[in-house]
This record gives sequence, structure tokens and C-alpha cells, in this order.
Amino acid sequence: MKLLTHNLLSSHVRGVGPRGFPLRLQATEVRVNPVEFNPDFVARMIPKVEWAALLEAADTLHLAEVPRAPTEGYEHDEDFLRKMHHVLLEVEVLEGTLQCPESGRLFPISRGIPNMLLNDEETET
Amino acid sequence: MKSLVVANGGLGNGMSRKQLLPVLEKCGLVEALLMPPNKPYSFVRYKTTEESRNAYASLNGKEIVDDLGQKVILYLNFVERAQWKELGHQALPPGLTVVEEIISSEDEKMLLESINWTEDLDNQNFQKSLKHRRVKHFGYEFHYENNNVDKDKPLPEGLPDICDSFLEKWLAEGYIKCRPDQLTINQYEPGQGIPAHIDTHSAFEDEIISLSLGSEVVMDFKHPDGITVQVMLPRRSLLVMTGESRYLWTHGITPRKFDTVQASEDYKSGIITSDIGDLTLRKRGIRTSFTFRKVRHMPCTCNYSLVCNSQRKETPPSFPESDKEASQLEQEYVHQVYEEIAGHFSSTRHTPWPHIVAFLKALPDGSIVADIGCGNGKYLGINKEFYMIGCDRSKNLVDICRERQFQAFVCDALAVPVRSGSCDACISIAVIHHFATAERRVAALREIVRLLRPGGKALIYVWAMEQEHNNQKSKYLRENRISQEKKEEIKCDKSTQGLLEQKSDIGSQNSASSVLSIDYIQEKESSSKTVTNSELPIHTNRTSFHSQDVLVPWHLKTKTGKNKPVEPFGSVGSCDPSPVFHRYYHVFRDGELEATCQTLSNVIILQSYYDQGNWCIILQKAWVCYGATWS
Repeated sequence: MKLLTHNLLSSHVRGVGPRGFPLRLQATEVRVNPVEFNPDFVARMIPKVEWAALLEAADTLHLAEVPRAPTEGYEHDEDFLRKMHHVLLEVEVLEGTLQCPESGRLFPISRGIPNMLLNDEETET
Repeated sequence: MKSLVVANGGLGNGMSRKQLLPVLEKCGLVEALLMPPNKPYSFVRYKTTEESRNAYASLNGKEIVDDLGQKVILYLNFVERAQWKELGHQALPPGLTVVEEIISSEDEKMLLESINWTEDLDNQNFQKSLKHRRVKHFGYEFHYENNNVDKDKPLPEGLPDICDSFLEKWLAEGYIKCRPDQLTINQYEPGQGIPAHIDTHSAFEDEIISLSLGSEVVMDFKHPDGITVQVMLPRRSLLVMTGESRYLWTHGITPRKFDTVQASEDYKSGIITSDIGDLTLRKRGIRTSFTFRKVRHMPCTCNYSLVCNSQRKETPPSFPESDKEASQLEQEYVHQVYEEIAGHFSSTRHTPWPHIVAFLKALPDGSIVADIGCGNGKYLGINKEFYMIGCDRSKNLVDICRERQFQAFVCDALAVPVRSGSCDACISIAVIHHFATAERRVAALREIVRLLRPGGKALIYVWAMEQEHNNQKSKYLRENRISQEKKEEIKCDKSTQGLLEQKSDIGSQNSASSVLSIDYIQEKESSSKTVTNSELPIHTNRTSFHSQDVLVPWHLKTKTGKNKPVEPFGSVGSCDPSPVFHRYYHVFRDGELEATCQTLSNVIILQSYYDQGNWCIILQKAWVCYGATWS
């Protein structure tokens, strides 16, 4: 699971709503997977990122050199874009958990795959 | 051009080879007469162009008499080429044998005369109630209401004495392995048949044998996967059904007065060829069958549990009446199944569909796209300029996405753990039709729309009930295994093409009964409809849908070599059949997907179309501002 994916995930436990975001990340195994740098692509992702959630996750993983916010004219700031590229796309959580901040429900991440299945009592109807 | 199409001169409209060939031979040397089964036309190829011109001149518009004595006008026209690729050699259903000339003509006569049809009133009433063929039972009474015998009430006389010597002989000679204790005699007049069925597993042991007297007939065997094999049962032959042919394949006799049979070898058993250069019609006579079976006292333990009434759960699945029932049905007949078949399923899902690819490629660069029900991730890597995430209910399928380096997670489509309004686009291909109630289907759509940002688009595909659209059969129907290698190559001028299209598939050989094609609907005897209306029917693959809510079989093939072809006369139970799984589907009618989307207040339907047996829709999430909506 990449951090950009984590940035999109939200808990769907019944009654939790928007308070289910962001999921608290805990990782026991992380890997860095090089991905071809595409500055235009990264630039396009920036406005869609929820920054607080990204920073929280990056901090949990003790990532260094994480920009705290988009810089002015970030679209042309290669240094910034490369750093964002790394954080969003190259860091993969292989094993760990995601926790609903409201209900405490834990979702496992195994072999890079979060299992977000709820049982019947937990789903919103 | 040496080939001609002969309209109204086909097996499908009662014209036999015997009638037609002499007429054609008068005009020249006939190289080949191709008579496709069930079609109201044939193709004739002459040795020279001159002869074909001669045939056209003298036969076009000519009136001749067909096998029923009816006058028919032939219409001929030139075709560039008429060829029909033959199906490879088909095998008999595994476990099936036909032993020819197992009794003499004298014995046949004796057996037929020994039957006392008007013995008692009970029998007579029984026969009347069946409307079709006459029947008589010995040993145990067969009950058509539940297709079973009453094991506690054997009939007093047992099997008729005259059968003893035959049964002894057949046992001694190894044609049969066990001594039966139940006999059903059926008498079929031309035009009568018996609907396709499997003899109840729990009622009878493995071996079922049937002696044909008085007339031969073609019996249809159908595999749940849609494969049909037509087997000729000659007079005085013994049909022995064991193993797969007894437990898994259905058998039946189409109610009609003619069978399409091989022209060259008279009265031979075996599979009816699909070589249309060698087919003709044979009129049926009165056929009497003696079907011997051994009553089963212990539950059936066959390998075909999905069609086994001893092994299937007490109640076969029925149409759900509550959300909870729907969820349970989906759990058993969707989720569990996909987990089991994931590997095989994935191997059959490799080619992205053009329209879906086009939708994706048209999205702006930098889009965040969610694939809800992504399966094996077929679409997750289509466009590198997107960030695409996939989710599926099946862990095993999501694993496959992961192997392919895609971003995927496991979840239910009714509760997608993605924040609202975060996706620029969504796709959901062949997913929503797995939800068992209308409410759940709408809920799934609502989830997809929730994920979209205002202005975001979604593409939804669902299986259509209508597998034929604009007179074109979908790929699903066209890939029926009977016709897979049979490719019609007719190059002819437009008027002939029009003629053929108009007259295609009339499929009736006489006014009273209609000839089946692969769509023959399974019907129980009219007096014995025990199936409740809410029971989910099991669909036959590669045929049209007769119900919106169905169970569709999936034959699992494992990686350890494809299913090996099974010896037709192999020993019983020695070969492992491929396990069959049933998946629940609600197939959509024309307009249903649109109507479902229209119940959502914040969507606009951009496009609605039909694609290879699927109803498809492109939605857009509306922008909302101060109570007004606009696109």
C-alpha cells in the first residue's frame, strides 16, 4: 500500500462518517520500490492530497525529508516534486495495520493489501 | 460460380436428402449437397459452372414435394462459396455405451407384444395424466411429482419374467454390472419426447440401462456447460448410462416426428455427425423403451454434488426476500465461489474490452480512478497517467492484483472505504449484477457515486438478459461449443443474404411441434411441477437467459493440465470431474440499469449502450450549488 493510497482510504464503520479519516497507520514492514519519476503526474496529484493525513502517515513511518506543504509554484519545483514522488509513490507498506480513529477498529495490511472488510454489524446500512 | 443456395430445400423445413438430391442430380453432376441441420436451406455444388447455371434455370421457382408430402417451391441463387467447417470428432458423454443388436428381431417382437397396456385403471389414469408418452412401471412405482420411487412400497409382481433371461445374459456377457429391480416401459409416438433431465441421484444406483424397440431415435445429451451431443439409439440396442453420463449430463428426446441423422450409414449408433454433407432426415416410428434401474437405498455419494439431491443442501437457493437472505446468498454463491475459482477465473480475464479502455483513455491525465470490483486487475494498468486503485470482495483476486504491482484492497462494494468525492472517475465492470436485491444494487451504485468528485464520471457494466441485440448474438452465445469450429462462410449477393436472414432458424419441421435449438427449455411433466416459483434456476452456459435471477455454472479447471479428455468407455468413477460452482447473477433488462441510475438524485446519465451482451452506462456526478444542480 502506497501512501497516496492510504491518503484515499477512510473507515466505513457504521456511524463514523468523515471522522473515519485518516486511518491511523502502523507498519511492521515497509519497502521502498523505485518508480519512474513523472513530474507532471506528481504535480497533478498535489492538489488532491490531504496533507495532514499524509504528514501523519509519513511521520509514523519516520520518513525523512517530507515537505510540510506545497511550495509556491510547486509545479516547477523539481526538488519538491521528487520528494513528493518518493513519499507518495515509492514507499510501500507491506505489513501493518490501519486503525479507525473513531471506533478503534483495526484493519490488517498483509503483503501490501489492506483488508477493509467489515462484518455485518459494522457496516453502515 | 458452381455453388447455389437452395432455399426451402433444407432439413429445417422437412426436406430430406433423399427427396432433394435426385432433383438436383437431374441438372448435372452434384459434387456436394450440404444440408445444415435445422435450417430451411441447403447448398449444392456442381462440377461445372454450366451445370449450376442449368440448375438455376430449371429449378428456381420449381415446385417439388417434401417428405411430409407437402408442396414446396424451391428458390435458388448463386453463392460464391459454400463451405462448412466440421466440428472435430466429438466424444460420447463419459460412461455412456450403446450396444447394438443386443436382441434379435423375434425377441423384439415378443417383448413388444408382451406389454399389456390396459391392465388396470390406475395405470390408465396415470397414462392419461401425462399427456405425452405411455408409461408402465414394474418393481417400484415411479412418482413423477418428485421424480423418485417409493422405496417402502415395492410393486407386488417385480420385474416381468420374460426380462429375466435377457438380464442374466447381459450380466453374464458383461454389458451390465448389476441386476436391476425397477423397470419403466415408455412408448413414444412420433412427435412425443421426454424433457431433458438427470435421473434422480438418490432414487437409483449408478447404472441405468435402456433397451430401444420398434424404432430408433436420436437422444440428446447435454452437459451443464452447454455442450450437446446427439446420440443415435438404433432399434434393438441397449443404452448403458453410468458415471458422468448418468449423474451430470441430462438426457432427453425432442418431441418431433423426424430426426436429423447421418445419411451414409444406416441405422448405426454413435454420435450424429455435424458433417452437413452427410445429413438427412429420418421419420420416427413408434419407439418403446425398457429402462431398467436399481433402486438406491443409501444416499448418493457421487462426485457431482452440485446436481446431487443427496448431497445438496436441503433447500436449493431461492430468490431472497430480505437483505439478510440476499447477503447470505451472495456469500455462498458469489464470494465463496470467486475465492475458489480466482486463479482460473483470472486466466480467462485477460483482454481488456475496447469500450472500457476508450473510456479510461479519454480521462484527463492525473485522474484518480477507482475500479470497484476490480477482479484480477485487468484495467488497473491501462493508463500510466492515472492513479488507479482497485478493490474487490475476493482476497484471492486482490492477491493477483498485488502480484501485478497494482494498488488494491479488499472490501465490499456496499461499503467502500474511500473518502467521499476523492475520485475523478470510477469503473465497475460486471459487479452490480451479483447483488441479489434491487435495493442492494442501488446501494452499490450510490457508493460509486459517493466516491466521485462533482463532475466525475463512472462507467458501469452489467450482464444483459438480452444476449441477442440488433439481431446479433453476443460473443457469449456465439461461442457455444457446438458451433465453435463451424464457421459459416457464405459469400453471396445481397438479395440472397436477405433471403437467408429472413428465413433463418425457422426450426419447425411440422406445425404441431417446434424443433429445439440449444434453447430448449427444461420443463418438468406438467403434473409434477414441484419446483417452487422462487427457486433460482440453473442457467445453461452459452444459451439465452430465461430468468433474470439465475445461478450460472463455472467449471473449474486447475493449472495442473487442462481437463484431460475422458475415455468414453472408461470405468466408472475413475476420472475426476471438474468441480462445478454456481454463481448468482441478476441479469438486467433493457432500460433497467438506466432506471436504477435515475433513482439517484445527483447523477446525470451521459451515455447508455449495449456492448457484447452487457448493458452499460456512463454517469456523471452533478455539481450542486445552493440547491440547484447543473452539469
